[in-house]
Amino acid sequence: MKIHNLTREEVLHTLVTSENGLSEEEAERRLSEFGFNEIKEAKKKPLYLRFFKQFTHFLAILLWIATVMSFLSEYLHPGEGMLTLGIAIAAVIFINAIFTFIQEYRAEKALEELKKLLPFYVKVLRDGKEKEIYARDVVHGDVILLSEGDKVPADARLIETSGLRVNNAPLTGESEPMLRRHEAYEGEFIESPNIVFAGTAVVSGSGRAVSFATGMQTEFGRIAHLTGAVEAGLSPLQKEIVKATRVIAVIAAMAGVFFFLIGFLIGRSFWSNFIFAIGITVALIPEGMLPTVTLALAMGSQRMAKRKALIKTLTSVETLGSVTVICTDKTGTITQNKMAVTKVWAVDGAEKTRESLLRTAYLCNNARFIEGQYRGDPTEVALLRAARETTGDFKGERIAEIPFDSDRKMMTTVYKMQDTGFMIQDEKNRASFVSFTKGAMESVLPLCSHLLIDGKEAPMDETIRKRISDEYHSMMDKGLRVLAFAYKEIEESYKFPPSAGSPEAKEVKSEKLGNSEFESDLTFAGLAGLEDPPRPEVPEAIRKCHEAGIKVIMITGDASRTAAAIAKEIGLVKANPVVIEGNEFIRMNDKELREKLSEKEVIFARMTPKHKMRVVSILKEEGEVVAVTGDGVNDAPALKKADIGIAMGISGTDVAKEASDMVLLDDNFATIVNAVEEGRTVYENIKKFLTYIFASNIPEAVPYLAFILLKIPLPLTIIQILAVDLGTDMLPALALGAEKPMPGIMKQPPRKLQERLLNFSLMRRAYLFLGPIEAAACMFGFFYVMFNGGWRWGEMPSPDNILYMQATTACLTAIIITQIANVFACRSSRESVFSIGFFSNRLIFLGIAVELLLQLFIVYHPWGNKIFGTYPISLSAWLVLIPFAVFLLFADEARKRIRIFSP
Amino acid sequence: MYKKILTAVNEHLNSEVTAKYAVNLARITGAKLYLCFVAEQEMTAATISRAEEAIKRIFLEAGKTGIEIEALTETGDPVRKIGEIVRREEIDIVFASTRREDIERRFFAGTVARRLSINLPCSVALVRIAHTGRMRPKEILIPLKARIDHIEERVYFTAKIAQAFGSEVFIFHSPEAVSKFFHGEIHLTPIEWEEKLPKDITDFVGHLRRYDIAHAGRSVPGSIGRMITIEAFSKRHDLIIMGASQRSMLSSILRGNPVEEVLRNTPCDLIILKPRYEG
Repeated sequence: MKIHNLTREEVLHTLVTSENGLSEEEAERRLSEFGFNEIKEAKKKPLYLRFFKQFTHFLAILLWIATVMSFLSEYLHPGEGMLTLGIAIAAVIFINAIFTFIQEYRAEKALEELKKLLPFYVKVLRDGKEKEIYARDVVHGDVILLSEGDKVPADARLIETSGLRVNNAPLTGESEPMLRRHEAYEGEFIESPNIVFAGTAVVSGSGRAVSFATGMQTEFGRIAHLTGAVEAGLSPLQKEIVKATRVIAVIAAMAGVFFFLIGFLIGRSFWSNFIFAIGITVALIPEGMLPTVTLALAMGSQRMAKRKALIKTLTSVETLGSVTVICTDKTGTITQNKMAVTKVWAVDGAEKTRESLLRTAYLCNNARFIEGQYRGDPTEVALLRAARETTGDFKGERIAEIPFDSDRKMMTTVYKMQDTGFMIQDEKNRASFVSFTKGAMESVLPLCSHLLIDGKEAPMDETIRKRISDEYHSMMDKGLRVLAFAYKEIEESYKFPPSAGSPEAKEVKSEKLGNSEFESDLTFAGLAGLEDPPRPEVPEAIRKCHEAGIKVIMITGDASRTAAAIAKEIGLVKANPVVIEGNEFIRMNDKELREKLSEKEVIFARMTPKHKMRVVSILKEEGEVVAVTGDGVNDAPALKKADIGIAMGISGTDVAKEASDMVLLDDNFATIVNAVEEGRTVYENIKKFLTYIFASNIPEAVPYLAFILLKIPLPLTIIQILAVDLGTDMLPALALGAEKPMPGIMKQPPRKLQERLLNFSLMRRAYLFLGPIEAAACMFGFFYVMFNGGWRWGEMPSPDNILYMQATTACLTAIIITQIANVFACRSSRESVFSIGFFSNRLIFLGIAVELLLQLFIVYHPWGNKIFGTYPISLSAWLVLIPFAVFLLFADEARKRIRIFSP
Repeated sequence: MYKKILTAVNEHLNSEVTAKYAVNLARITGAKLYLCFVAEQEMTAATISRAEEAIKRIFLEAGKTGIEIEALTETGDPVRKIGEIVRREEIDIVFASTRREDIERRFFAGTVARRLSINLPCSVALVRIAHTGRMRPKEILIPLKARIDHIEERVYFTAKIAQAFGSEVFIFHSPEAVSKFFHGEIHLTPIEWEEKLPKDITDFVGHLRRYDIAHAGRSVPGSIGRMITIEAFSKRHDLIIMGASQRSMLSSILRGNPVEEVLRNTPCDLIILKPRYEG
């Protein structure tokens, strides 16, 4: 038993209050018991702690150890450049932390938007007197006074109503105002007409309600808590980066320790061994990886914005590419949200009967035609437009209305007819009052006892009922939203209750009006079928999804037949999809729902947004990567829960937009699919530049191996390694991040969860194929300069020896030159660079130009020489290295042709 | 198991709502119910009068169920006085409502609720009233941890509360996510989690089955307190029954305290049960 099941007296007794409200003293006591009526943010890790976390993960700890050891070395053995190294490594930690934090950071403003829906002041009864108090001071048992325009401050049980209608849109998504009553109700709590919920607004009428839940315990608080507390977890890319950095860190650390031990065994000094160990570790860590990934994601988000998908969290760019299921709304996303009446059906097919139906549609309608524009609910606007265009305008005097409500699924209006000249039957038998009803056929048809045949009323029989029912189903199977229309002439002697007839109160409570009087013994006028046509781009987008192995689940408030028909029309489903209706969904346990969701084609019909989060949760539990669309306030939890929450830019509420990861600027489903394509491209491009970055690790590591094993001077210094990783490599790598989608990218299934970003094939290509060629080039460059300068094997020049500095410069230059060829090789893993268009990515050339300029600065500018320990080299040293670059490019072309080492 | 139940009543509405849980438990177990109000020295006459009115209302309401009731009014320190009554009357379980200070103070340090829970030589059910619109819980959420003490009493308490209100029970377990160093967090499906269900939870479910209580459940990995409140909010559970925290102050500071987190954020009424029944 809940509060909505109780009578007014029981409510007051249970909440220990009275019709006069609480006393001030008691209200104060209850405020101290239950706390303020306010929306609070779920406790989360503070921003500074989230930033601090970027300095404490495994790779960062490893780098910290290297930093501390470098500083320690500098302290014990000054003058060996370990201070510079320590600073450089610490800078790498900071750079990585900042870029990772930028990726993860997202301003949480959804709760701020939610708070705006709550009132600031509210009228209550305290000690029997009306009083205006702060809404945050409302307590359990307070009697709240509600009137038109008020926002409801807390969940409260109505004890008195007068034509009270509330807009429950923030909670239910339904914009149609709902009539509220104060009598006990036996149905579901959430659908109870005697409850008003916090965050909703009074559209008309007035009432008194007793508060029973405040703050975060209200239904509104529920949305706020779920929106704030629910987290989608790490994105697939973030998970992959965590795994990749651990793999890299372990490889680098093990290599450092291993070669330190080898050096120790072959008798090198501790300090030269130590420098070596640090060097090889630094060489194997791709310092530029995280900044490049972040910048690539930022570039991806810009490309998506051009395609009308606004990305709010950087990592979402790639997550889109991993999506395996898209749960989408129908109206406005798949369809155009341009409702139009496409079929008007009367049993006799007579024009006169059809006209009566359209007049009923005109008069039983709350949409308006003002200043040349239709305003109102899209369905009502469509009916009004059809009626006006067919039969013209009517000026009836509406004296009462029984509003639409989701239980009855129909509405009725009552008109005084004598002054209007409106004729239902004929001039002689004109009635004084006529009621007009429209609604779901299952609600309206049982109330009809007659129907119009050739302009005259005839009794309804079972054969006709079946005919109507068959037509209804046939229209729904064509994807139409079908409404039934009926009317009733009211006898002149009928006495309306005072409120009904009064001009200021045209809208009356159904119970007072006696809806049984107006909604019984009706004359059936016919059916109208409304169509919301699909967007033209959607069938192609759905086809792309199917080809890309992405499952699309449609979630709609429409009836199942209508939903299935639309789904068939757009190619979403074929023969027999699983169609789950809202009431069936509520009854299903998680296991049953899980089984249904595993089917290939699933549609949810007659659903409300509040159910979306459950669908999303179950799909995620099954390991799916889920995108979900939403526009309402109560979509916010599902948007937060999904891997990608997609809000509608045009029709979406601010709350939905703030809770989402992506905003569709055109509300179009096809834009989601475009964004998925971009997301997949970003992932592929990240793999491309990882190959590029990792390949340069080998020519960075090999000089250290040579240094320790061949007992030669160190061919490449640590600071020169950092010049490559954090300098010259960055822009070409970024240019790879801007590669266009490969043909067929949307013809592959979504990547599996088990698939690694840093997989064996990628590492094999980078470390065992491209890297060794570069290493050969850099060692050749080093020895070319050394031998030409008269160096003899075994000689150990000092670090400031010009010949030695030129040799290390040549070694560095060799890496730069071969990386230029490598960037072309890495533009695709399988296709020839000449087949994808050698000049198709202009950024590559810009990246190379900047890379060369940087290298020229490093080699020829005194500042560059000073910072990086380099010395100008001759042109011949450049020229002898070029064949290595040419060889690398064509060797990789050959590899692509014979398809080996393909990631 | 429970022959004598005591519920502490005071001038606050939440103690009156708490008493309803005690009344229903007494009704279903056939136990004798003690309504106890302890007037503190500094209390005003008006406050005492309010508490006595509350006792009267509960007495009348409970009287309709046909249970044996005794109302007691004492003066002094509530914890000490209730302790004396518990010893004297051999009370099996005490119901007490939490106060605002229990929610605001970290680890309930020094609160009446914490003192009752520590000092009473019987089981204690601390009740936080959050939602006065759900008088008869339809769905009860039972968060369970991997190792459960006093399983029999916990099951008995849960089953009797469920029987008293005709409720369904939903068992919820929030284990730590499975992860490997190179693979990171490993995703397990609900069926795989079910296979990993700890023995104590399986035993709990087995015992619950004996009472013929409709139940379902699931395991969702994550931060325990947060996952419990998300579950309660998203599934609209009407009541949560969970065990008292066994984490030390230090452990709570370092690892957080799920009970404290749920106490602060619960969307529905919450009973924190500290079982002591050994017989």
